[in-house]
Amino acid sequence: MKPVATLQDVFQGAVLAGDRAPGLFVREGLNEIGGFDLYINAYRARLAAALKDNYPVLHLALGDDLFDQLASAYIEQRPSRYRSIRWFGDGLREFIDQNPELLPHPALADLASMDWALRAAFDAANADVCRTEDLAAILPQDWPLMRFTLHPSVNLLELNWRIGPIWHALNQDADAVTEQPDALDHTLLVWRQELECKWRSLEIAEALALRAVVRGESFAEICEVLAALDSDLTESDPSMLAASLLSQWLSDGLLVKLTAFI
Amino acid sequence: MQNIISGYGLGLRTEHYADFLADSERLRQRVDWLEVISENYMVPGGKPLYMLDQIRRDFPMVMHGVSLSIGGTAPIDVEYLRHLKVLIERIEPAWISDHLCWTGTDGLNLHDLLPMPYTERALRHLVERISQVQEFLGRKILLENVSSYVTYRADEMSEWEFIAALLQRSGCDLLLDVNNIYVSSVNHGFNPQHFIDAIPATHVRQIHLAGHENHGSYIIDTHDHPVCDAVWDLYAYTVRRLGAVPTMIERDDNIPPLNELLDELDTVRRTAMQNLPLQVGHA
Ligand SMILES: [Fe+2]
Repeated sequence: MKPVATLQDVFQGAVLAGDRAPGLFVREGLNEIGGFDLYINAYRARLAAALKDNYPVLHLALGDDLFDQLASAYIEQRPSRYRSIRWFGDGLREFIDQNPELLPHPALADLASMDWALRAAFDAANADVCRTEDLAAILPQDWPLMRFTLHPSVNLLELNWRIGPIWHALNQDADAVTEQPDALDHTLLVWRQELECKWRSLEIAEALALRAVVRGESFAEICEVLAALDSDLTESDPSMLAASLLSQWLSDGLLVKLTAFI
Repeated sequence: MQNIISGYGLGLRTEHYADFLADSERLRQRVDWLEVISENYMVPGGKPLYMLDQIRRDFPMVMHGVSLSIGGTAPIDVEYLRHLKVLIERIEPAWISDHLCWTGTDGLNLHDLLPMPYTERALRHLVERISQVQEFLGRKILLENVSSYVTYRADEMSEWEFIAALLQRSGCDLLLDVNNIYVSSVNHGFNPQHFIDAIPATHVRQIHLAGHENHGSYIIDTHDHPVCDAVWDLYAYTVRRLGAVPTMIERDDNIPPLNELLDELDTVRRTAMQNLPLQVGHA
């Protein structure tokens, strides 16, 4: 009597290899439709469907055939180690960077990052957001040392292409013919407000300020970061600029409710 | 909302969130309880948990998992059980279920419900793991019979003998999927009524009905069609044999407007009422 573990190793090995599992079944053979081949096919189909769910805009941009090629390559090389299929595909961007020939245009790699970040924002942890009245309660002398925390759904992506227009075009019309995107190094902010996932491209000043928040820097330090920027990038004085960024972040729901004053 | 499960339910699907939020009063007249897929809500936050909490206020619920891999040979994933427990505390379901299967080995997950060999060794293996899980969760679990497309050479008994022995030895309960029995009976050529006859009625807590893809010589368990006539007949037989068991329709793909499922659920109710043994009363 074969131990259960041996049987499962042979079964799984055969599914992964897409090949028969000698000695395991009463009826063998890949050609016998309705047997073991159903497991081989269902495995690939299910994982490919999960990738389509997690990368909806990349899927639209590539179309079924190219996306399926990419998905098959990924599934062969990076089988799932997750309990829940929800997380399958977490390494797709890295995989694309290692296998750039799988994409017809390098900008689509940025689309993959954006899809994954939006998917992550969708079910990221909840947190109470900071409101204008919370900031109004801060005493003037406490401002320089104030530190802020970003909502758990916030993600800052460093992208190399201007992919916003493709994203909009494909979301409005899945068959849209899209222009080649321009090369543009920039930061894309992705987050969730209430239940809605959002994104926008950031100017340099805002990107640097948000990075400073991520590093846990104080309001005074954020102002210093802004002051160090070339004056032709920012017109207003650093603390005015910091204040206007803060008010933007409040209305976007990017900041977590302040718990205690330091 | 209290959590008494009786009568007829549906699997909660994202496509129907809006209906359940907008129309819960009317829907409570037609759906007695809901089953949720545990993994869909084992996430940090956002819309899934928000919707779950809202809908839970109005409906009794049970939880149904797909990743326990009770038949797997790697150690039981305690991290998974811990997450499951957090969700159990949130939902307070009447019961939780998973599948009588394995999902992968060697640290991998094939995300499929793979059949167990029906052997004495596998029985012992399962009994041991079921008791571990039940102990960790502090509650009994239900396991569901899966459909299968292969027969192991190693098998020493039929699937129904295997399941009956497992229920008796492990003390866990059964989520009887009537469609899966039918699918396997066609694929393997057995009489599905023999399967039903062999199952100890006291262990059957819940029934699944679903549709499938018929390819003539074999059937794939796809959950993307309405329940077919042969499965209705087998359900009627099951009710005559087992009495009133909470029953629901599972639809996982090609999901129709909620009204279509409500009509189909009325058929479940009617079929059950017409076939219940008189002394058992109503569901
Ligand atoms: Fe089922």
